[in-house]
Amino acid sequence: MFDSFLIRKDSLQNVVEDGKVTGFKFAVRIADYRGCFLSLHNGYYIRCDGVEYPRELQRFEVNGKKPRTFEEIKKCVWEHWNYDDEAYVYVTKEGGLEPGMHTIEIQQSVLSQYGYGPWDEEWVKNPPVPGTGAGAGKTHVICKFELELQE
Amino acid sequence: MAIKRGVSLYSYQQAQFFKKMNWKDMIREVHDNLGTDGIEIIDESTIRDYPFPSEQFIYDWNNEMARYNMKAVTMDVYLDVHQFRDHVMTHREAAERLKNDIKLAARLGFENVRCLCAVPIDVIEMALPTAEKYNVRIGKEIHAPFPIKSNKLRVKRGMMPINPRMVDEIINLRARTGSTHVGLVPDMGIFQHSPSRVAIEYTKRHANKPEAVDFIRENCRNYDDEEIVKVLNEKYPDHGLTRMDISRMYLHEPAADPEDIIDIIPYIVSIHGKFYDMTEIPGKPGQYEDKSIDYETPLKYLKEYGYNGYINSEFEGQRDQQDRGIENLVDEVEQVRRHHEMLKRLIGE
Repeated sequence: MFDSFLIRKDSLQNVVEDGKVTGFKFAVRIADYRGCFLSLHNGYYIRCDGVEYPRELQRFEVNGKKPRTFEEIKKCVWEHWNYDDEAYVYVTKEGGLEPGMHTIEIQQSVLSQYGYGPWDEEWVKNPPVPGTGAGAGKTHVICKFELELQE
Repeated sequence: MAIKRGVSLYSYQQAQFFKKMNWKDMIREVHDNLGTDGIEIIDESTIRDYPFPSEQFIYDWNNEMARYNMKAVTMDVYLDVHQFRDHVMTHREAAERLKNDIKLAARLGFENVRCLCAVPIDVIEMALPTAEKYNVRIGKEIHAPFPIKSNKLRVKRGMMPINPRMVDEIINLRARTGSTHVGLVPDMGIFQHSPSRVAIEYTKRHANKPEAVDFIRENCRNYDDEEIVKVLNEKYPDHGLTRMDISRMYLHEPAADPEDIIDIIPYIVSIHGKFYDMTEIPGKPGQYEDKSIDYETPLKYLKEYGYNGYINSEFEGQRDQQDRGIENLVDEVEQVRRHHEMLKRLIGE
């Protein structure tokens, strides 16, 4: 769902923290027709210009709070990501991205589901690694975006 | 008394995503242009800050519904068992979520909550006293590939485990408790007999070998749902289709037979009017149909045997048309209007 629209096209920017460029960020929406308890958000498969950036290098900014790691997000069991709301994905990359066009491939992983499944206990111990399709909600393909770095 | 028409605001999910319509615009569309009053919602899409909406949201919702004299028919509720992440939600915790959803539905004026196929029956039983107290019925969805009759399960495997006795369990629970606050929400998708045009086209666009999709369509009747995967892997080793793609494309008979709906009419709390692609019927200008779902036969039975509840449109064809540019997006408002042309005609309004 929303394959071509999961990332806002004019949202790719470098991130500056304490005067240093620490990475890049872009704006995303939920790949489902409903919002979710924030704890269910299990991160992203992200490949930028051919380089993979695993969940450990990602942070998520939503609900007006500062960017949080997915280990912190996991604990937000009563907070909700509303269907209507945009959020930012932060990716750690020293020096950020060069000016110009960049290719971002993405798959969102949100562990929402329709009841109990045989994989449940396993997912508590070992949450699926984003990108395998597990937890990919309503968008199982990896979506590809050509984005221009904004000032 | 006759069958009544309504709309699940799910149908306008894309318009909501792009901020072209909010829930108030949707209610006005149903009232002004469809000339009816039934409203169904997805809790986590419409209710701002679910599960803790503000008092202002609740007042605003009830006020808007009153303004147009609308009927809050069914609120669709969910069961995400990984919410707590450090353990799988227990059945007692699942019942707490359902009870909370029932209370919320009551505050928003809803007559029913729709719970999912895979919600265990003991979870529903634990929530039943709350349903009674707040006078909100729990309707368990019968969604494809679940059958109505337990002896007619046609697929060996689904994405989620399939309990073919789901319908019997609900009927038994009613009999055992004497409660009329539990029932069923059949989804018209159980009468879908082939993949929609939009699903076939989406799958082809994403397959390494689009001809593999044609192969499934041409051979679906020759193999069972396990064999087709094997044959496909041999013939097109790099087809690039997932198991879910294959089972979607393999569909060639409905999950339920239309006549099976007759026996469950007394237990139906509302119906999901699932559809994907309303096209004009050749030779009948202004009349529409969904070529992949049989509406005519089940509606004939529903009329004949006196169903007088709501059928709420549930448009789902948009998601298969969102992988290209903005110019390829489907007009949900037009699709739902066409669906209501069909419903009116088949109901005999």
